[in-house]
Amino acid sequence: MDSIIQFVQQDLGNPGLAALLSNPSFAFIQLMNSFSQAMNLFIIAAGLSLIFGVLRVINFAHGAFYMFGAYIVYSVAQEWTGNFWLGVAAAGFGLAVMAVVIERGLFQYIYDKEHLMQLLLTFAVVLILSDVAKIIWGTDQYSVSYPASMKGAVDLGVTVYPTYRLFLIVVGPAIAIGLWLFTERTRFGRLTRAATQDREMLSALGVNVPMIYTGVFILGSVLAGIGGGLAAPFNSPTPGMDATIIVDCFVIVIVGGLGSIWGSFIGAIIYGLVFNYGSVIVPNWQDVFPFLILLAVLLVRPWGLFGKPEGGNA
Amino acid sequence: MKRSLLVATAAAAVLTAGAVQADEIRIGVLYPIAGTGAVYGEPAMHGHNMAVDELNAAGGILGKKIVSFARDTKLKPAAASAAAKELITKDDVNVLVGGLSSAVGLAISEVARQEGVVYVATIPKTIKLTTEKRHDHVFRTASHTDFEGDAMGQIVAKLGLKKICDIQLDYAYGHDLAAGIEKGLKRHAPDAEKVLDLRVKLGATDYNAFISQIMGAGCDGVTSGLWGSHFVNFAQQGSPFGLFNQIKYISGGEIASHEIAGKMKGDYPDNVWSNTYELWYHHHDPSHVAFQEALAERSGTKETAMWPVLAYIGVKFIAAAAEKAGSMDADALAAALKGMSISTPVGPRTIDPETHQADTGQFWGPMVKKEGVDYRVMDPVTFIPAVIAE
Repeated sequence: MDSIIQFVQQDLGNPGLAALLSNPSFAFIQLMNSFSQAMNLFIIAAGLSLIFGVLRVINFAHGAFYMFGAYIVYSVAQEWTGNFWLGVAAAGFGLAVMAVVIERGLFQYIYDKEHLMQLLLTFAVVLILSDVAKIIWGTDQYSVSYPASMKGAVDLGVTVYPTYRLFLIVVGPAIAIGLWLFTERTRFGRLTRAATQDREMLSALGVNVPMIYTGVFILGSVLAGIGGGLAAPFNSPTPGMDATIIVDCFVIVIVGGLGSIWGSFIGAIIYGLVFNYGSVIVPNWQDVFPFLILLAVLLVRPWGLFGKPEGGNA
Repeated sequence: MKRSLLVATAAAAVLTAGAVQADEIRIGVLYPIAGTGAVYGEPAMHGHNMAVDELNAAGGILGKKIVSFARDTKLKPAAASAAAKELITKDDVNVLVGGLSSAVGLAISEVARQEGVVYVATIPKTIKLTTEKRHDHVFRTASHTDFEGDAMGQIVAKLGLKKICDIQLDYAYGHDLAAGIEKGLKRHAPDAEKVLDLRVKLGATDYNAFISQIMGAGCDGVTSGLWGSHFVNFAQQGSPFGLFNQIKYISGGEIASHEIAGKMKGDYPDNVWSNTYELWYHHHDPSHVAFQEALAERSGTKETAMWPVLAYIGVKFIAAAAEKAGSMDADALAAALKGMSISTPVGPRTIDPETHQADTGQFWGPMVKKEGVDYRVMDPVTFIPAVIAE
């Protein structure tokens, strides 16, 4: 092992990789970093994927929903109540209200339109929302404190790790399982899946399809809001944060497969691993790797790892 | 309040656009007014308008009224370049002032060179603006990355740090600052060894992967230029790991300014040494008291931001140069700016006739907790002058 490390350090000239090989606790921390980043991204990407799966709309404004979630947590938790969890709940609730207004007021009219029209409308919503956010919260960069119980770090034996990050690692899979149970085990979930297969038939059977659409849009948007709220302590609410997150989310849902919950889950983990290990091993290329994976998936399996080919009746 | 001022400026610009221009001085102003950059552009406009209003109240420049034509640079070099050209061709401005971000500053400077119009760069810090990209008509009143890096070298020496990790944003400013720090370390702290070089994407939000590398590298000092929300995120993610108990964090990028400290409050980490152009609570120059009061009234807060003073100084330099030259002709103005000295709310400033660079020093110091206030303040405040001692 020592000779391998020496080879990597001196002949390959890669101190990052050598550090990973020689220092197990460093390698472990990067693994934890990968998961905690992945789980936060998953919560947001799952919402985007869910909305696309049922409504067949690629919602560019999803990033703006995330940004609103973060801002709402700032206002409620930092400015008014001092209670972080109340802030996250308010972010979820606030996004539910926004979702109803936007879906009923705008999106319901474009479900049958071509993709370009949908794209233009959701992009218009992005621009409008970023201006609304600027009117409400101005242009400052805010800081949100960690919840009091999770300010510190936990000793995991090999290393200490921030409590809040551990919490994210737990909450991500919990949400994934919850979403899975919801779509597989509840009546509303079954109707949702039916709506993705054949909305005309469902409507003919007397099911209120528009209501299902609204419900799914609310659920997806609430996930964005909660994701933004949970990110606020380590991701300063600031203008422009919507643009960064939407790109990451697209990479994740395309790699995982649009419309698939587990696809988003695995896609997020791949993204996290590639980003965190990539930034150690090939620091100057870290931003390229997620996109290389995206490219590879698009070439080999354009419908994503867990997706279904477009047009195929699965 | 802020918004209404901007609107008023814009309205004034529109209303006067058709007026006879011989009896007015037209200044083209370039800051990011909307979008992400507005966090800096809006306060900069306050400082700009304050200087213009003061000058107009005292009879303008050369007895003529000053009119500002503000255009949004959107933090993008291409947009700034187009805006600068429009200001010159459409609005017929006499001079350009402003610029925010190093890339934008270089873009505006290029237009100024082509069109033969004087450009006073108030905020961009890349060293290239006054070295390899310097031309007859560009002048800088901001500091630059070599001054900043030199000051950081002095602080590393003073704190006796031996192993340095450097983390920078991956664009013009970050690269130039890293080079400046390298020189500063060589000059002041030759014993300090650089053990880690990290580059982060501009706009990055997740720093965990970098934080664990810094902690694993065993450095006792971190040098950096992560500014604005980059620093907020880095600090929020580093604190739970105990990063700021393990290292001293020495940073350029003006994270000691009150706009950062006042927003982070109790979350601002320990062991941070940084810089700022101005502190609302520190009166280095006696004229600062009146300046700060007027600014507070204008921006509607007692605790004012750092950016206005930069824009303010830019306008004051132009006015002084025009009075000395006796005209707004570009070559006469450029000749007058060379070696020009003025007094400002943060002390006297002189533009070097050779490099076109103002001797803009900065305030440096540790950010500490203080009784009775819920935000960190710089204490003690040290003014490090813009002199690189060879």
